[in-house]
Amino acid sequence: MSNKLDHEKLTALVLGELDADNQTHISEEVESDSELRTLAKELREAANLTREVYASEPDLQLDTAQREQVMREATAQPPVSKPRRVSSKESRAGWRWWALRLVPATALVALLVVLILPLLVRPLESARRGSPADLANELALSARMAETDATEERYHAGNVRAEAEQWAMQAVEQMKARGYSASVNGGPRTPSLQDVKVGGEIRVKGNFYGQDINGLPPTGQASYFAKPDGTASPYDDPARNYWPGHNTEAYANIVENPFKRVTDEALSTFSIDVDTASYSNVRRFLEQGMLPPPDAVRIEELVNYFDYDYAPPEDRSKPFTAHVTVAGCPWNADHRLVRIGLKGWEMVKSERPASNLVFLIDVSGSMQPENKLPLVRRALRLLVRQLDERDRVAMVVYAGNSGLVLPSTPGNERKKIFRAIDHLDAGGSTNGGQGIQLAYRVAVENFLDGGVNRVILATDGDFNVGITNEGDLTRLIEEKAKSGVFLTVLGFGLGNLKDATMEKLADKGNGNYAYIDTLNEARKVLVEQMSGTLVTIAKDVKIQIEFNPARVGAYRLIGYENRVLAAQDFNDDTKDAGEIGAGHTVTALYEIVPAGAPVEAPSVDPLRYQQATGLSDAATSGELMTLKLRYKAPDGDTSKLLTFPVRDAGLGWEQADPDFKFAAAVASFGMLLRNSAHKGSATFDTVRTWAEAGLGDDPSGYRAEFLDLVGKSKTLTGK
Amino acid sequence: MKTIARSKAAWVAEALRQFERPLLRYAAGITGDAELARDVVQETFLKLCTADRAQVDGHLAAWLHTVVRNHALNVRKKESRMAPLLDEHAVPQADGGSGPGIEADRNETHRLIADTIRELPPDQQEACRLKFHNGLTYREISEVMGVSLGTVSNLIAGALDLLRRRLRTVLDPVREA
Repeated sequence: MSNKLDHEKLTALVLGELDADNQTHISEEVESDSELRTLAKELREAANLTREVYASEPDLQLDTAQREQVMREATAQPPVSKPRRVSSKESRAGWRWWALRLVPATALVALLVVLILPLLVRPLESARRGSPADLANELALSARMAETDATEERYHAGNVRAEAEQWAMQAVEQMKARGYSASVNGGPRTPSLQDVKVGGEIRVKGNFYGQDINGLPPTGQASYFAKPDGTASPYDDPARNYWPGHNTEAYANIVENPFKRVTDEALSTFSIDVDTASYSNVRRFLEQGMLPPPDAVRIEELVNYFDYDYAPPEDRSKPFTAHVTVAGCPWNADHRLVRIGLKGWEMVKSERPASNLVFLIDVSGSMQPENKLPLVRRALRLLVRQLDERDRVAMVVYAGNSGLVLPSTPGNERKKIFRAIDHLDAGGSTNGGQGIQLAYRVAVENFLDGGVNRVILATDGDFNVGITNEGDLTRLIEEKAKSGVFLTVLGFGLGNLKDATMEKLADKGNGNYAYIDTLNEARKVLVEQMSGTLVTIAKDVKIQIEFNPARVGAYRLIGYENRVLAAQDFNDDTKDAGEIGAGHTVTALYEIVPAGAPVEAPSVDPLRYQQATGLSDAATSGELMTLKLRYKAPDGDTSKLLTFPVRDAGLGWEQADPDFKFAAAVASFGMLLRNSAHKGSATFDTVRTWAEAGLGDDPSGYRAEFLDLVGKSKTLTGK
Repeated sequence: MKTIARSKAAWVAEALRQFERPLLRYAAGITGDAELARDVVQETFLKLCTADRAQVDGHLAAWLHTVVRNHALNVRKKESRMAPLLDEHAVPQADGGSGPGIEADRNETHRLIADTIRELPPDQQEACRLKFHNGLTYREISEVMGVSLGTVSNLIAGALDLLRRRLRTVLDPVREA
């Protein structure tokens, strides 16, 4: 096979470069000749290996600033003015300086190996190129993170510490050699600094902090145990959910609400939730070309991200209205879908009560990246522009030390406030605990009667110095909430986001939580919804449904898994629940199996000593269920009760209103992303169809964006 | 107007998603410097934003690679003029220009391939990168490099055949002997 022409043709065949005719013709020729077959096979192998070699090159990306500039240019209306180019060198100077500052921290060497690698790589791509986890693994190995067979004596003698330091520095060199900037990060920034004792020895773990060549934030993290034989294995901490390939983003495990038989449990009780952070978070994942980890998908937060057109209360004697609609369930033709919609009264901006705001801003080193502190600054400026002389603003920063950088200042002294915002700089480690104490104190000292008193916490959620115990921290927040000062938590950044911690903090502090990934999101949360984000119109809002067994066989609350309450908590005014803000809508969906239809829920054996008592007269009323609501005034201690009987008018899916369809589509989307057992016949295609039917006017464009995300998910899953 | 702007943004975003990384590698192969490559690729995407879409649609890959190539060659020319003046900024001559920047500790087969590619003449290296890394078709490569289809076919077939023969010595030494 030395004929040059044949080689070219054969190569073209192997590379799929032939037109259809030649393709058939030549492949037939190859098939019939064993020598040609072997040759084609070898060429194919060579081509594949060559692709692998190219794919395993260190990844190169544009700087975030460069990419943003391109996107700004792409969205600019013509005629286009030429923006100043951000040089890649310029935009990275900040990070380099910061990395240098971190190096001395090496001395504090840690006991846990944490390799942080950029995980911005899309999973599909990374599958081709060798995943970041593989790279981490490789680095761990190549850095010879060999276990020093450390005994406790050696550890205390200090040898181990020195060795750990040494190979942590080696790891840094390895990272650098591969084009990553890297530094050793001493203990303070480690989320769970600990001695790991295995048998009689302490496994020494170095703590390693890397940054990709673009100065992008570290978005992935891998921890490795170094073993005595010189190999490293992934550090498996059951308390954390690594995703994908060992990310530090921590999400609490969500176990979806199962179907429950009405004969077993006729009451369903939960607290409302107006949080929407999960949606922005899911969007962030999808826009980066990754599927979100299932536990990052909180269906009720996806559904509640969107506004629905429920009629608000006519007057302020009632803080909100409740709307219940029952229609066909799109993903299971035998089931019914119940939508409960609450709408808080809408406040005209000028009627907004005065606000006493204390910003509590995390300025720890991890806040350095552009999508964190710089975005916080821009978001704060947006909010401050909404304030006037009736309002007061203070700013507390926390890192290694906490401090008041802006004493409580009237809202019209913008220059002073902006100057303080401009001077926020990242550096140091986080002590959320002290900062929170100080922020609450300032808020209480400037308490406005009848006004909005709120601490606004801006962080990436990495509380890891001082009060690191989550329980202590939430107790502190809970305690502070009693002072009448509420908490808003704004989550920033990616890769280090302790989603569950932040949500819990907001929860316990009678507040809300939003994830802010873009300036647009900041605008939505802080400006468009300002009256909602900041003004609570009812608190401890609980919902209890009593299902009528004559009409309902089983039911399932969609989402709200971490909001489910015990039946007796409904009437217990000491039990905390969600708040509803001015203009907020809250939507909850139940999937219902009509009485007589087959139920998927497991059944228990009939009781031997008891028998089911009969139905009450009301059971024959034809009512489907009764909706009960409890809420307190924002400053009240005693709850009020509202009760609404609900009938099923037999509405089909097609007849349901657009909002109903859209909410159902979003819930179904969430179930698909969670790969829920209850997703029924839904696919991303049906979700799209349903959402399109429910698109409505969509003045904000948020619903159209949802369709985009559905498309992305379909591509990513290939389903 | 708004929808036009939005769909253009989507178009550019998709182009970024698809081509940012391979273009950066391609540019780095020519300029020999990651920073310069970033500037070249950003410049290219900025140019895409103002380009007449009708002119670009249908051969986006070839368009982007052509712009990157021309721009990177210009930058290289400029840098090499400057290099003698600014010693500390002199670009270390990457051995073989657009050869894969692979690390030494990959497996032996990969190293063999990387070494072999680095031995190839520059135009063959470039064609290989465009084919096997950036996934362009022969036709696109001929457009980008400004050579005939036959030349592209010849460059790639020659390179792949050399790679194949080298691999055989590793994978099947007995038979080769």
